Amino acid sequence: MVKYVLKRLAASAVTLIIVITIVFILLRQMPIEGYFDNFEKLSEAQINVKLANLGLTKSLPAQIWDFYVRLFHGDVGTSTRYSVGTPVTQLIAQKAPLSIVMGLMSMLISMILGIPLGAAMARSKSGFWDKFGTVFIVIVNAVPAAVYYIFIQMYGTSAMGISMLFDRERLITWILPVVSMSLGGIASNAMWLRRYMLDEINKDYVRLARAKGLSSQKIMMRHVFRNAFVPMVQYLPANILYTICGSIYIESLYSVPGMGGLLVDVINRQDNPMVQALVMLYSAIGIIGLLLGDLLMALIDPRISFVKKEGAR
Amino acid sequence: MNTPFEARKRRVEENIAGAVRRELTKEQEDALFVLADYDETAAEKTGYSNYSYWRSTINAFFHNRMAVFMLIVLALLTGFTFVQPLLPGQYDPNKINNNPVTGIQLQNQSPGLTTVYDVVPDGYRLIGQRLDDDWYAVSNVILTIKARDGFTVTEYLDTWCRIEYKGREGYVKNDFQTKLKLPDDPTAVPYDSKSNFPIQMFETPDDYTNKGDMLYAPADQIREDEDGVVYAVGETTLRTIPSNQPFLFGTNNIGQDLWARVWRGTRTSLWIGFAVAFFEALIGIVIGIIWGYVRALDRLITEVYNVLDNIPNTIILILISYIMRPGIGTLIFAMSLTRWLGMARFIRNQIVIIRDRDYNLASRCLGTASSRIMVRNLLPYLISVIMLRMALAIPGAIGSEVFITYIGLGLSVKTPSLGNLINEGRKLVTSATLRYQLIFPAIILSIVTIAFYIIGNAFADAADPKNHT
Repeated sequence: MVKYVLKRLAASAVTLIIVITIVFILLRQMPIEGYFDNFEKLSEAQINVKLANLGLTKSLPAQIWDFYVRLFHGDVGTSTRYSVGTPVTQLIAQKAPLSIVMGLMSMLISMILGIPLGAAMARSKSGFWDKFGTVFIVIVNAVPAAVYYIFIQMYGTSAMGISMLFDRERLITWILPVVSMSLGGIASNAMWLRRYMLDEINKDYVRLARAKGLSSQKIMMRHVFRNAFVPMVQYLPANILYTICGSIYIESLYSVPGMGGLLVDVINRQDNPMVQALVMLYSAIGIIGLLLGDLLMALIDPRISFVKKEGAR
Repeated sequence: MNTPFEARKRRVEENIAGAVRRELTKEQEDALFVLADYDETAAEKTGYSNYSYWRSTINAFFHNRMAVFMLIVLALLTGFTFVQPLLPGQYDPNKINNNPVTGIQLQNQSPGLTTVYDVVPDGYRLIGQRLDDDWYAVSNVILTIKARDGFTVTEYLDTWCRIEYKGREGYVKNDFQTKLKLPDDPTAVPYDSKSNFPIQMFETPDDYTNKGDMLYAPADQIREDEDGVVYAVGETTLRTIPSNQPFLFGTNNIGQDLWARVWRGTRTSLWIGFAVAFFEALIGIVIGIIWGYVRALDRLITEVYNVLDNIPNTIILILISYIMRPGIGTLIFAMSLTRWLGMARFIRNQIVIIRDRDYNLASRCLGTASSRIMVRNLLPYLISVIMLRMALAIPGAIGSEVFITYIGLGLSVKTPSLGNLINEGRKLVTSATLRYQLIFPAIILSIVTIAFYIIGNAFADAADPKNHT
């Protein structure tokens, strides 16, 4: 077990370093305007001085080395256009809490609604819930989220008689962004749970349980549901971590002052250090999330074994 | 004693006795059966199955009525994106349509099925001027009465008033916009009246203007006399724009025809979708096969896969679009960069599982060419997932395009796509009368994506040999 964890950790660390380096190199290809808030007014000499100060005139390997040295001191750069001179970490610390709260709320909703829906679909195969759920899943999966979010915003806000934009103080404005955010989660939770449960229902141990005389209710809850839920646990940590990043689209649509909207803002303003820091953060969260998911799976699923079995099986 | 065992024993004995009693005689038995002749072709039958993978797949697919319906819809829609520019009288998607008289853009024109405003009878007097060879700009407004200028009402027609003004007869509207000053009994004509606003005096009690603007009449239905007065010749149709071709989906906020833009945009988006699906299949299959077959490269490709798979796809998409110049090529490249991963992994896993199965070993021993093994033995296992992923790549790509356009990294409005049409429409959602600019592209986009989703899933089910009868 320890060996597996260490191996998995090492692999993730290597991946993280490779990814950060690639992102760093790619962003060096950007036009240099993104490092200045007043590029047009500067003379060439001033530009060169600023670039030299930022360490951008050095060779690429030297820049990468400098970057890692600063990274280990907790310095990921300062914003050049979005909020001039503010450290990126400070901006993130301001923005992340709101995204986390909203993200966790939507995750909770997607589980509370998605899991019972998936279970109901699996139990009533080709019954009402199955049909209803299938239509819902097809629509949510097939129509791009970017489109139905707009329509939810458009008709939702006018039906509720509220402004289109988010206001932290007014609880009613929380409803639409959080519900929109949870739709995709409801559909995917329902779809996967249904699929895993149907897979489990056809297995022999379920037939045995039925032959033993267990009630359907008990078989579903005690056996099928538990086993079907295991593969879904794997993505839980990643999803929780992603709440830090917020939903890029929804936050920007409702002007939620969170992390997701921040990425769109800094892209539109071509703030290179901010884009770099945020992209790296997102990648790091992806990698760490998958790592935790794998470890969690190993912890809860006794079938995953870390020792080679000796002798015949 | 009457235990269950005893009862059963008794039943068995009775059955045997019954069977003996019913035993047939030899003659009766012979009469029941006839010896068949030896038939060589019939003997072959048991060893032959007319199962054909593709025929079964297609049969299974066409049993799914919803999928077939969606396929037809999609084929018609895709075909129409190519046919539409060839139809007569279509507008160019990037042409900014101006009002030919005032030169103002025909912005935010409501959608409509026809440009006909009304028909006037033969000899009807109009005020107008020649626009070009084919069109006259006309209206029946004789003149505009200045605000607070007095006139005499000679007849009261409820919503209209016949008046005399500076020696000329004509009609003015009596509604909440003109707010005519009328006496307590407006039918007791004549009397003097006025309006606090500039109002138009019409030739007849009909409003032949497009909300105050000129209407347009075909030149061959107009006769012009020396004084510059024009007359209708025969039944003359008055149109809101100098064209028989209406703005079916209205115009956008700079006067471009939304109908043409939607179809051009659908074509662009479908093209992006097909290209992404093609590259996903191409790169995914090639790398997947190398990954599965070449054992020496397995480790290397696995590591590369792990790195790429660890980065969220959206972030790669955003990063590439941010670094590269916006354009169709960039979008296709950025989307293809991540989509092949899943395909390659699936193919690799299947190949590793299937390649050493006994029947493949047997095929190889019999000297079957590798290409034939791949096509006949491997492909049927892969095709359902390949097709599913390709079909889902198209709605995925279209959705990503909408997203990338939204965050400001997509195509410029000069290249209409469903993404930038929806984004342009989204900016106008606050005004309920302009929502059509969002709704039309959104409907087309939803039809396309839902159709691909359903067709993809139906084909994947049909292509799975487990579902063949």
